[in-house]
Amino acid sequence: MVEAVSPTLCRLPLLLALLAVPSAVFAHRDDQYLQATLVAIEPSGVRLQINLTPGVAVAEQVIARIDHDRDGAISKNEAVAYAESLRRDLTLRMDGRDLELKLTASEFVPPAELRTGSGIIQMEFSAISERLAAGPHRLTLENRHLTGISVYLINAAQPRFATVQITRQKRNENQSAGEIEFTFHPFRPKIAVPAGPT
Amino acid sequence: MRVDPWLRLRFNLAMNKKIALVLILLFGAGLNSFAQTNSTPGAPTAGIVAATKKFLATLDDAQRGKVVFDFKDEAQRKRWSNLPTAIFKRQGLRMGDLTKPQREAVLAVLAAALSPQGYEKILQIVEADELLRKSSGERMFGRDEYYVSLLGQPSTTEPWMIQFGGHHLGLNITLAGEQRTLAPSHTGAQPAIYELEGKTVRPLGRETDKAFALLSSLNEAQRKQAILDFQMRDLVLGPGRDGQTIQPEGVKGSALTEKQRQMLLDLASEWTGILHEAVAKTKMDEMRKSIAETWFAWSGPTEKGSAAYFRIQGPTVIIEYAPQRLGGDATKHIHTIYRDPTNDYGRKWWKP
Repeated sequence: MVEAVSPTLCRLPLLLALLAVPSAVFAHRDDQYLQATLVAIEPSGVRLQINLTPGVAVAEQVIARIDHDRDGAISKNEAVAYAESLRRDLTLRMDGRDLELKLTASEFVPPAELRTGSGIIQMEFSAISERLAAGPHRLTLENRHLTGISVYLINAAQPRFATVQITRQKRNENQSAGEIEFTFHPFRPKIAVPAGPT
Repeated sequence: MRVDPWLRLRFNLAMNKKIALVLILLFGAGLNSFAQTNSTPGAPTAGIVAATKKFLATLDDAQRGKVVFDFKDEAQRKRWSNLPTAIFKRQGLRMGDLTKPQREAVLAVLAAALSPQGYEKILQIVEADELLRKSSGERMFGRDEYYVSLLGQPSTTEPWMIQFGGHHLGLNITLAGEQRTLAPSHTGAQPAIYELEGKTVRPLGRETDKAFALLSSLNEAQRKQAILDFQMRDLVLGPGRDGQTIQPEGVKGSALTEKQRQMLLDLASEWTGILHEAVAKTKMDEMRKSIAETWFAWSGPTEKGSAAYFRIQGPTVIIEYAPQRLGGDATKHIHTIYRDPTNDYGRKWWKP
């Protein structure tokens, strides 16, 4: 590497030329709505931490669904209403049974920031599960929110407690739906797991 | 096309340092003193502190007020992104607002803190963005749009931090005595391949090649574990995802041969080795100890040179590499992230 690059870098003037960079390709995630979900499984329930990032080209479309009175600000009621619309588009099931999701936290950046393409809406939904039986379980999540403009990520968060052990994750091709298989070990000491793989 | 002299100067400096290192390898420890005179092998923190103080001495009071933040300033600590400056506002000092001696002093800080190959990689990323500026005509790109900032005062004993970043670059170097970490940091490139006086430059080329080499070394059973059957459209733990850790996937280090484990470590060294050799070696030793618990996952096509995502995840490291499918050739637009789930921002060294 030293030998290969050094003469090039030392010569002057350096003639720089792109192999191929069409001007339209300096894109960021302009025309997509990134919906990234972390699924945290705990003995008492499930938390979905969702980061929503609209690209510049779709920001107005997303803002229109939130800022209903078009006053350039997102009121508490508008935030709650949008969270509810997202909640309706999510289906969470544990061992085939629906879990009821409740909004437990949300943070909306102003529309002006969303328009830049860097603004992130953060939401957290929680579902309290019935008392988990020891042994294997299957959690499924489907996200149908704004499918026409969205790209998705679904990942299991690393469990915080040794009592929960993720055994397998599956997703459909575009990650709008995922399945997490895990085993509950109620008799393991409920101690925090250090960061890193289980 | 003319290149800014400061860039050329630093390229040459990097090359001189690399040549010195090669000489050490070839001729043994006898040349060590030569190398220490002409570069900063081992790079004790004192050398980085000295370079940083020298940079600060080139500034006026107003500039110093803008570049130095309180070490406890969490907002500034987390103010880094893959996005260009027009979209994601940085703070600190903008390279384009500095004089030539000041810019050179900034680069001297980086040269002191980074390995020669790490420094070269950073310059190549910046140069790619300069090319993007010229090809697109967009002022939000280019060498001028990189920012430097410090958290805390340069010190050989107290914790402090150097940040340097802009589009496709977010270097977060935390120093605490002789301990240093790069986690979390973002590298990327667009274009990820370009020509420089007839020679091809690939800022993230070794990462790409080593990953494909590792993939091709896997047998069928290993590939079945390593290759995920869904699309990875972006980094999972990119900028803004501090403090989160995901369940590892793919093939586990314990299922790899010794040679494959070495290849995995060598691939990871493209990130850990951005920092200077002494600390990079410490980090690599740490990773080697837990290699059996380190995972390698792949998503996307497997033909060499195609646009594919991969991830390395172990107890003390998370690395992701994600080509960006945004309308162009994804192999020419790459985002990566490097994290340490146990020690992002060096918190274990200074958090009470």
